[in-house]
Amino acid sequence: MSSVVHVIELRELTKRYGGRTAVDELSFRVQPGVVTGFLGPNGSGKSTTMRMILGLDAPDHGEALIDGIRYPELTWPLRTVGALLDAGAFHPGRSARAHLGALAAGNDISSSRVEQVLGIVGLSDVAARRAGTYSLGMRQRLGVAVALLGDPGILLLDEPVNGLDPEGIRWIRDLLRGLAAEGRTVFVSSHLIAEMALTADRLVVIGQGRLLAETTVAELAATDDNLEDAFFRLTSQTTDYRGRTAS
Amino acid sequence: MNSYRKGGKNTGRYGFRQAARMEWIKLRSVRSAWWLAIAAVASMAASGIGVGLGYRSHTPVATTAQILNNSLSGAILAQLLLGALGALMMTGEYGTGMIRSTFAAVPRRRVVLAAKAAVCGLATTTVGLVASFTGYLGGQLTIRGTAIPAASLGDPPVLRAVVLTGLYLSATALIGIGLGTILRHSGAAIGVLFALMFVPTIVAGLFGEGGVAIGRFVPLLMLLNSVAVITPGAGLFSGTVSVLLMGGYAAVAILAGGVLLRQRDA
Repeated sequence: MSSVVHVIELRELTKRYGGRTAVDELSFRVQPGVVTGFLGPNGSGKSTTMRMILGLDAPDHGEALIDGIRYPELTWPLRTVGALLDAGAFHPGRSARAHLGALAAGNDISSSRVEQVLGIVGLSDVAARRAGTYSLGMRQRLGVAVALLGDPGILLLDEPVNGLDPEGIRWIRDLLRGLAAEGRTVFVSSHLIAEMALTADRLVVIGQGRLLAETTVAELAATDDNLEDAFFRLTSQTTDYRGRTAS
Repeated sequence: MNSYRKGGKNTGRYGFRQAARMEWIKLRSVRSAWWLAIAAVASMAASGIGVGLGYRSHTPVATTAQILNNSLSGAILAQLLLGALGALMMTGEYGTGMIRSTFAAVPRRRVVLAAKAAVCGLATTTVGLVASFTGYLGGQLTIRGTAIPAASLGDPPVLRAVVLTGLYLSATALIGIGLGTILRHSGAAIGVLFALMFVPTIVAGLFGEGGVAIGRFVPLLMLLNSVAVITPGAGLFSGTVSVLLMGGYAAVAILAGGVLLRQRDA
């Protein structure tokens, strides 16, 4: 077994698109054993940050490290970090089984593990179907299967509950908490503060690409009447688009 | 509390071998790849049979060279189909978001590109050779029982033309991979591939006799006048040189794609 403690560390991570700074000198650490929620309004830079951690987008400044090294330097990336980036990251003409099988082959993961994760996410019966025919909920489950494929110590999930029905949301919540309880590092983004309150232990809150708070759910809730008010107060200066209250 | 334990073997590192297996599973698990391959073989079979039937009643009696050259003419369509297959191996991933899953599994992107090129090259060489032999056989079988002399594969120039046509088709698919990597969009890549096949041909035609100096570098003209023939036209490269030139074009396109792949966000 590996004695490595799985940590994600961001050091002044920065991404600019043209003149706009999407992620602005973001520095924080994500620890194992708990679910860390990555919270921020729409457009606050959560997805960009996640893509930079995975080496998909190159930072303009700073770095994101997995156990001290950059993602592309990992020996077997899928066995160290499992990621759900968006529910559409598959070819619609390919079956779930072939999709998982191809990615498994890319990291020398056994085909028995493919069947195992299909079972975990409840897609075994439809695994031979073209993934393009799946409902949004089934697509999310396929994405979760990809994340679990390499039995990784670190899980990175971008808005995993999007499009899921209440039962699916509870399933994700229990799954993530279970994975964290096993000692894994679970980093999950959301713009839904209420959902994060139920799922996460720790919170990293960002707005306009900047770190606003690194805290726990309990600490943040204690700063205002309730967690939602506390979140709005924290992010009020950084929300890009807001409707006016009807009067 | 359960403690998370890392299972499985943890030696070695991902590399070309893993990426090639991944790409092979991907290629054979989408229907479009099979349809394009089948269509490439079918188009050469159809043109072989059609040409053979046409020549049966043709006067004067057709020559071996005529039958061979023309029964391989289905390669004009087959090159577009296999070129599209190559382009789609890359652009299909950008269009669907699959590319992010791929690069998450194999972050060294040029390893992915090399694996795609190797898998595509092997698969389309097989399909290209099958298509080429099918076109040849279609022509030969339909002229049986006529006065037209048979073109035997035991005859080196005949065998060479059939084999080189198959390899030419594979090179087109590799050019498709390169263009797909550069352009990242299915419509754009296939459009540019088709344009590269036909526009230079038309331009070379504008120069009349002097067009040969340009035409010998032009893919479609090389196919029709150097590769799929018993004797190349005057002033043209040999079939072997022409196919090597196609391989060179593919290498340039793939290397250019590799440079861009490194620099761009996925």
